[in-house]
Amino acid sequence: MNDDLKTGGLREFLLWLTRRRRRFRVSGRSMTPLLEPGQEVLINPAAYRHTLPQPGDIVVVRHPYQPHLRLIKRITDVLDEERYIVKGDNPLESTDSRTFGPVGFEHILGQVTSRF
Amino acid sequence: MLNKIKSTIKAHFPAPEVQAHCDGPCGVYDPASARIAAEAVLSMTKKIMALDVPDPSNKEATVAYLNTVSRYVAIKEEQAHLAKTELLVLWTDYFKPVHLEQYPDLHDTFWKAAKLCSATKVAVSLEDATALMDAIQNIHNIFWSTKNRDVTYYTAS
Repeated sequence: MNDDLKTGGLREFLLWLTRRRRRFRVSGRSMTPLLEPGQEVLINPAAYRHTLPQPGDIVVVRHPYQPHLRLIKRITDVLDEERYIVKGDNPLESTDSRTFGPVGFEHILGQVTSRF
Repeated sequence: MLNKIKSTIKAHFPAPEVQAHCDGPCGVYDPASARIAAEAVLSMTKKIMALDVPDPSNKEATVAYLNTVSRYVAIKEEQAHLAKTELLVLWTDYFKPVHLEQYPDLHDTFWKAAKLCSATKVAVSLEDATALMDAIQNIHNIFWSTKNRDVTYYTAS
């Protein structure tokens, strides 16, 4: 489990500079206490090119019904290679697979690798 | 050094947002909010009907009556509108095409319930206010069955 998300060092920073990481700012409280609103993270868009998402991974996904919305959630279950259950760490303040069902592999935009 | 650079970047080049919201939109829906508003409508309807109209020559009583009836009507109006808004949010945000397959008359159910909200504004009608409560009870049953949960319907009053 990615319970302790490290702040990225020089390597992550260089990967971001070379566009192999994308930067996002967290809005909302569904990933507290790990991520507070306003904190920034880096994601690796190519993380799942060779390996598959695993339970415990923190990911940025597109909302299955509102494609303009990007969500940050944790994968809690893998139904099969195509469908994943995602949930917020803070279930009281999270909209996740409990509401919109599993998300498809194609909705996963990348894995969160570090805090920025 | 690196941290300083990062802080500068954060300050000057804001990153796009990822939502960690309670329904960035939040998914917390419950027909109870519509039911509470509709109960207020029913209660105000009963209270308005129960008011005694004073003798017009009694100025003090007439002023008090007008004030009270105005307040009751204002609350009825406001709560009927709130009930309608809550119903529309459920209808358009919570319910998905898959639910419509399960409940083919879903659109009709909500349309009629929303119409009843308007009807309770237009007139002081015990019949409409009661019909609105019944419609919301029906929506309560549909809503919770889509979540496979057995939630007993109740009223506060």
